[in-house]
Amino acid sequence: MILMVILLPVIAGVLVFLLPFKKRSHMELFLETLVILNSVLVWSLLLHRPTEIFTLANFTGNLSISFKVDGMSMVFGGLVSALWPLATLYAFEYMTKEEHEKVFFMFYTMTYGVTLGISLAANLLTMYFFYELLTLVTVPLVMHTLTREAILASRKYLYYSLGGAAFAFIGLIFIIIYGSTTDFVLGGVLDLDKVGNMTNVLLLIYVMAFMGFGVKAAICPFNSWLPDAGVAPTPVTALLHAVAVVKSGAFAIIRLTYYSFGTEFLKGTWAQNAVMLVVMFTIVYGCSRAVKETHLKRRLAYSTISNLSYILFGVTIMTPLGMVGALTHLIFHAIMKISSFFCAGAIMHQTDRHYVHELDGMGYKMPAVFGVFTVSAFALMGVPGLAGFVSKWNLAEAAVESGNVIAFGGIACLLVSALLTAIYMLTIVVRAFFPGKNFDMSTLEGIKDPNWKMLVPLFIFTFFIILFGFHSASIVEFFSDVAAGVY
Amino acid sequence: MYYMILAILFPILAGTYLLVRKEMKNRRNLLITVGAALIITTALVAAALCFSGNGMLTLFSLTDKLPIIFKVDEISVIFSVMTVIIFVCAGFFSFEYMKHEEKEKRYYGFYMIVFGILIALCFAGNLITFYLFFEMLTLSSMPLVLHNGSREAILAGLKYLFYSLCGAYMALFGLYFIERYGNTLTFSPGGVISAAAAAEHGGILLGVAMAMLLGFGVKAGMFPMHAWLPTAHPVAPAPASAVLSAVIVKAGILAIVRVVYYIFGASFLRGTWVQTAWMVLALITVFMGSMLAYREPVLKKRLAYSTVSQLSYILFGLAVMDTGSVTGSLLHVLSHGFIKSALFLCAGAIIYMTGKTRVEELRGIGKEMPLLMWCYTIVSLGLIGIPPTGGFVSKWYLAEGALSSGIPVFDWLGPVILLVSALLTAGYLLPVTIQGFFPGADYDYRTFQKKEPSWFMTIPVLILTVLSVFIGLFPNGLVNYLMQIIEKIV
Amino acid sequence: MDFVQNFPAISILLCLFAGIISSGLKGKVAKHVNTVLILIVTVLSASTLLYVLDTGEAFVYVMGKFPAPWGNEIRAGVLEAFMALFFCIIMLLSMFGGRKKLVDEVEESKTFLYYVLTNLLLSSLLALVYTNDLFTAYVFVEINTIAACGLIMIRQNGRTIEAAARYMIMSLLGSGLLLMGICMLYDLTGHLLMSNIKEQVALIAASGEYRIPLLVTIALMSIGLSIKSALFPFHAWLPDAYGYSTVSSAAILSSLVSKGYIFLLIKIIYRVIGFDIFGASKIINVLFIFGLMGMIFGSLSAIKENDIRRMIAFSSVAQIGYIYMGIGMGTQAGMAASVFHILSHAATKSLLFIAAIGLTDVSAGSRKFIDLTGAAYRNKWAGVAFTVGSLSMVGVPLFSGFISKLLFAQAAVQVNGKMLPALIVLGISTVLNAIYFMKTVIRIYTPVEEDRHSSVTFKDMRLYAVTLVCFIVLNVVLGVSSQPIVDLIGQGLAMFS
Repeated sequence: MILMVILLPVIAGVLVFLLPFKKRSHMELFLETLVILNSVLVWSLLLHRPTEIFTLANFTGNLSISFKVDGMSMVFGGLVSALWPLATLYAFEYMTKEEHEKVFFMFYTMTYGVTLGISLAANLLTMYFFYELLTLVTVPLVMHTLTREAILASRKYLYYSLGGAAFAFIGLIFIIIYGSTTDFVLGGVLDLDKVGNMTNVLLLIYVMAFMGFGVKAAICPFNSWLPDAGVAPTPVTALLHAVAVVKSGAFAIIRLTYYSFGTEFLKGTWAQNAVMLVVMFTIVYGCSRAVKETHLKRRLAYSTISNLSYILFGVTIMTPLGMVGALTHLIFHAIMKISSFFCAGAIMHQTDRHYVHELDGMGYKMPAVFGVFTVSAFALMGVPGLAGFVSKWNLAEAAVESGNVIAFGGIACLLVSALLTAIYMLTIVVRAFFPGKNFDMSTLEGIKDPNWKMLVPLFIFTFFIILFGFHSASIVEFFSDVAAGVY
Repeated sequence: MYYMILAILFPILAGTYLLVRKEMKNRRNLLITVGAALIITTALVAAALCFSGNGMLTLFSLTDKLPIIFKVDEISVIFSVMTVIIFVCAGFFSFEYMKHEEKEKRYYGFYMIVFGILIALCFAGNLITFYLFFEMLTLSSMPLVLHNGSREAILAGLKYLFYSLCGAYMALFGLYFIERYGNTLTFSPGGVISAAAAAEHGGILLGVAMAMLLGFGVKAGMFPMHAWLPTAHPVAPAPASAVLSAVIVKAGILAIVRVVYYIFGASFLRGTWVQTAWMVLALITVFMGSMLAYREPVLKKRLAYSTVSQLSYILFGLAVMDTGSVTGSLLHVLSHGFIKSALFLCAGAIIYMTGKTRVEELRGIGKEMPLLMWCYTIVSLGLIGIPPTGGFVSKWYLAEGALSSGIPVFDWLGPVILLVSALLTAGYLLPVTIQGFFPGADYDYRTFQKKEPSWFMTIPVLILTVLSVFIGLFPNGLVNYLMQIIEKIV
Repeated sequence: MDFVQNFPAISILLCLFAGIISSGLKGKVAKHVNTVLILIVTVLSASTLLYVLDTGEAFVYVMGKFPAPWGNEIRAGVLEAFMALFFCIIMLLSMFGGRKKLVDEVEESKTFLYYVLTNLLLSSLLALVYTNDLFTAYVFVEINTIAACGLIMIRQNGRTIEAAARYMIMSLLGSGLLLMGICMLYDLTGHLLMSNIKEQVALIAASGEYRIPLLVTIALMSIGLSIKSALFPFHAWLPDAYGYSTVSSAAILSSLVSKGYIFLLIKIIYRVIGFDIFGASKIINVLFIFGLMGMIFGSLSAIKENDIRRMIAFSSVAQIGYIYMGIGMGTQAGMAASVFHILSHAATKSLLFIAAIGLTDVSAGSRKFIDLTGAAYRNKWAGVAFTVGSLSMVGVPLFSGFISKLLFAQAAVQVNGKMLPALIVLGISTVLNAIYFMKTVIRIYTPVEEDRHSSVTFKDMRLYAVTLVCFIVLNVVLGVSSQPIVDLIGQGLAMFS
C-alpha cells in the first residue's frame, strides 16, 4: 500500500507522457482521476495507519529503503495529498497557455509520488534518497519554459539543492555511525555511549546538516535559488516552491532535529543558538527583500523564504510546543501561500501582468481573485481570525514557554516580519482596490476573473484559511499528539 | 446578553452589505439605509448596555487557550456611549458633507464596519478579543483615510496602516508573554499578574509592558510613533477625520487602560521605570503636539496636532496612576471626544461651504457662518480648559491628581507642562475665532455673504457642543460614577 | 593443485600471445581475436573468483616450479580475481562503445596495432593485479606505460602526439621513482618477492634501524605510482591524454590504467610494506592531503573547461583524489571505500566518455558546450547515459557514486584527526561536481530552435546503445546491491595480509 501510493503517481506521470490522448480533456480526466485516487489512497493509509515498517530493499549493511506511517508522515503526507488534486485542477487551466504540457504533467505528477516518498520514509537514508530524487524530478519543471532565464534558474536550483544535500549527507553519515539506528524515533537515536567526547563535533555536524537541508527550506544565505525558480509555471511555483519542495526541506529538518539528533542532545547548546540566529535573520531578511521586490511572484517567493524560517524557528526552539508551532505553520502557511500564488498565477494567466505596479485597479475587474488574495494577505500578516494568526501564536507561545532569551528575540523577529508582510502584501491590495483618483479604468478593459477550474481551488483554500482561523483547536491538538509521539 | 453580539455584528454586516451591493441609483435610499443602520445600532448598543449585566459571553475559541469573550463593564459603558454619540453625529453630518465626495457607498460601508468594530472593542472581555478587533479596526479604517484616492491620501493611508500595524505587533509581543506568565488574558480589575509571576519574571514583564504601551500608544499618537496622525487625519473626509481623531484614537487609550489597569495592574507598574518612561513620553508628546499645532497653517492639520497633544494629556493622567488623575483622564476622554469631533466637523463645514483650508484664509468666517463659529469658539475654550466647559473639569482633576501623587519631579513638572500646553492651545485655536469675528478694519465687507450650512451639518455640531458644555456644568454625577470604577482599579 | 589455479597465469600468457599473434593479423580479424580474448579472460577470472571464494583463501602459483628467490610467483585472492574480472568487463564494454569511433579515427592500416596494444595492456593489467613479485610488477608497469602511450598516440594528430609525449615523460618519471624504491627495498631486505619483503620489513621496522631509508622507499614508491595514476598535483599529463585520444583509449586509460597503478599501490601497502608500517609513516598524510586538494582543484578545473572531453578528464583528477583520500585515511574502512571507488569510478567514467562521444558525434564533432545544446534529443541513448553517469558522479542515491560517497564518509567519521577536513571537502566536492556535471546535463537537454544537426536512432548504433545500457546497469547494480561487493572487498583486503 505504501509503495503503491508512491509509485502510482510516478507511473501515472509516465503514462501521461506515453499514452496518445485524442483530446486534451481526456488527459485531464485521466490525470485528475489518478491523482484523486492516489490522494484517497493516501488518506485511507494515513487514517488506518499500519504500524509495521515496510522495507523495500536493503542498501548496504543495516541501511534500508523502508517506509512507515507516523505522526509526521500524517501531517506532511496529508497536506500534500490534499493540495495536489486542487493544484492539478488549477494547472489544467493554467497550462493551456504553455507549451509541451505533457512533459510538464509527467514530472508534475511524478513529483507527487516523490514527495509522498519523503513524507513516508521510515529512516534517514530513505528520506535522503527521495530528497535527492525530488530535486531531480523538479528541475525539468523549473526549466519548463526553456528560456535562458529558466535554464539559469534551474541550474542554480540544482546546484544549491545538490550541494545542500551533500552537507545533509554528512549528517546522515554521523547518524549511521553514532546512532543506534537510522530509523526515525521521536527524541532522537544518538547513542550517547558512542558519542563520548565527540559532542562538539556532532553539534557542528548538526549545524552543517541543518544548513544542508536548509537549502531547500531557503534559509539565508542559501535562499537565492527560490526567487529565481519563480520563472517556472505558476502551478509549480505555488505547489512546489511554496509547499512540496520547500516544505520537504523543513520536514527534513524536523526529522533531523526531533527524530535523529534529538532535542535532548541539542537543546541549550551553541548549535541550537547558531541555527536559531540564522533562522531569525532569514525571517527578517526574506521579508525585507520581499518589500523591495516589484515582481509579484518573486515577492511572494521572498515571502516564502521568510515564512519557511518561521517553521524552522519553531523547530529550533526544540520543545514539543515548538514542534507544534512548526507543524501548525507548516500546514497553515502551505494553504495561505498556495492561495496567494494561485492568485498571482490567475492574474498572470488572465492579463499577463507580472509586476506589482501593473495591478492598479484590478480589484474591481477580478474581484474574486483579489478578494481571495486579500484574505491570504491578511492571513499571512497574522490577522486574528485567520489561519496565520494561530500558527504565529503557537510559535510565539512555544518561544515564550522555552524561556530561551534568543527565542524571545525570535518573537520580535516574527513581529517585525509581520509588519513587513503587511507592507509588501497590503500595498498590492491597496493598489488593486484603490488605484487613485486619476486612474483610467479603461486600460483594464476585458479583464475578468478566470474560470471555475482556477477559482474552485482558490475558494477552497480561502475557506480553510478562515476555518483554521476560527477553529484550530482540534488540528492543533492533533499536532500536539504528534509532537508528544502519540502516533 | 446577545444584544452585545447584535450590537457588534449589525453595523458590521450592514457595512459589508453596503460594500458588496451594487451602486444605488438614488442617493436618498442610501442615506435612509445608513441612517436607519445608525439608529438601529444605537438602539442595540443601548439594549446591550442595559440588559447585559455583568455576564461574560464566550463566543468561540480561536485555539483552546484563546476564547473570544465579550463583557460589558463600566469602562465599556463610558467608551461605547461616547462612540455611539460621536458616530451618529458625524454620520448625519456626512449626509450633507459627502455630497461633494465620490464613492459614497464605500465610505458608508467602511464607516459602519468601523462603528461595529469600535463597539466590539468596548465590549471585548479579554485581550485577545481586543487585539482581534484592534487589528480589524486598523484595516477597516484605512479606507476612510485614503477615501479621496489622491496620491497623498493613499500614501497617508499606507502610513497610517503601517504605523498602526507596527504598534499592534508590539502589543502582540506582549500578549504572548502575558498569556504565558499571567495564565489568562481576561480583563480583571487590578490585573492578572500574580505576585509569584511578578517576582519571577518581573524584568521581562516590565519590558513587555513597555512594549505594549508603546505599541498601543501608536494608535493614541504617543511620541515617538505619532507621525502618522497629522498625516492621516487631515486627508480623510471631515466626518471621517472627526471619528478618527475623536474615537478611533481612543481605541488606543482604551487599550492602554485595559492593559495597565486590567492586565498588569497599577500596583505592578507603579514606581517602576516603565511608569517614569511613560510619563516622560506623554509629557514630551503634550508639549510637542501643541508646539507643532501652533506652527501649522492648515486648519485640519492643526487640529490633528492638537489631537496628538490632547491624547497625551489622557495618557499622562493614566501614567500617574492616581485616583484623581485617572478620573481626569477618563473625563478628558469624553470631553476631548466631543470637542475634537465638533472641531473637525466645523473645519469640515468650512471646507464644504467655502473650500478654505488654511487658517489665514478664514478672516471674517465668523460673520459668514456665525452659528458654526460660536460652536467652534465654545469648544475651543473647552479644549483650552476654561470653565465652565468640560475641558476645565478634566484638566483640573488631571493636575490635582498629579500634584497629589507624590511622584518626585513629575508631581510639579506635569502640571506645569499641562499649563504651558493649555496656553499654546489657546494660541493655536483662538486665532481662528478672533480673525473670524474681528476680521480687522481692512476687511472687505462687500464680499460678505451668509454661508451658514444646512441643518444636517449644524445640528450634530450643536449637539456635540452642548454635550461638552454639559459635562463642564454638571460633572458631579459623572465624576462620582468614574470614581467608583477607579477605586476598583487603581 | 586444482586446475583452476592455472587460470591467472594462463590469462596473462594468453593476452601476451594474442598480442603477438594480432600483430600479424588484419585489423578486422584482430578485432575479433581481441573480443574473444577478453571474453575468455573474463570467464577465466570469473572462475578463479568463484574458486577463491569457495576455498576461502588465496593461493600462490609458482611460475615454472622455480621457488623463490629465483622463480616468479602469482598470487590470487578474492580481490585480485574480482579486479581482474571487473577490468575485463569494463574493457570489453569500452571497446564496444568506442568501436565505431575507432574506425573513423584510426587509419585502417593501423587498426590491428590498436588491438595489439590493447591485448598487451590487458596482459599487463592482469599481471599487475596478480603478481606477487615486485620486479615483475615493475616490468609490467613499463609494458603498461608503453601500451598506454600507443593507445593515446594511435589517433595521429598533433595533440595526441604531444599528449603521448607528455604522458610518456611523466610516466617514466613515475616508473623511475618506483624502480628506485624497489631497488632500495631490495637493498634493505634482499628480496623481491612480496611476502618475503614484508617479513623483512616487519623485522627492520621492529628493530628501529634504517628508519629513514624505509621512509624514503615508501615515499618513492607512493609518489611514483601517484604520478602514474595522475594524483594532483602530478596530473598535468592527464587532460590532454584523455581528452584527445580516441574514445576507447580514453575510457580504458581513465578507468583501467590508472586504476591498475592504484591497485598496485594498495598491494604494496598491504603486501610489501605492511599496512601498519605504511599507516605509521607520514607519507599517508601527504597522500591524504594531495587527495583532498585533487578533489577540489580537479573539479575547479573541470568547471572552467569548455570542452566536454577535457571536462570529464579533469573530473577524473577529482575522482582519483577521492581514492587517495580513502587510502590516506589509513584505516581498513577507508581502504575498502577506495577500492569500491575504483570500481564505481571505472564504471562511471568510461560510461561518461563513451556517452560524451555519442553527444559530440551528433553535434558535428564539436566538443564545445555551446554546440552540444540539445544533443540529448539527437542521441537519446547517449543523453540518458550521460545523465546517469553525471548523477552517479554527483552521488545521487541509486547509482554507484552514492555508495562510494557513503563509504568514504563512513570511513572518515572513524578517523579522528582527518574527519572534518575529509567530510567538508567531500561536501564541497559534491557541490562542485554538481556544478559542472549538471550544467552539462541541462545543456544537452536544452532544445535548440532549429536543429542543424542530424540525429541518430537506435538502428544506427545498436552496439553502442547496448554498451551504454550495460554500463548503466552496471552502475545501478553497484549502486543498489552494493552489499555483496562491499563484503567481497572486505574479504579480499583481509586476504591480503
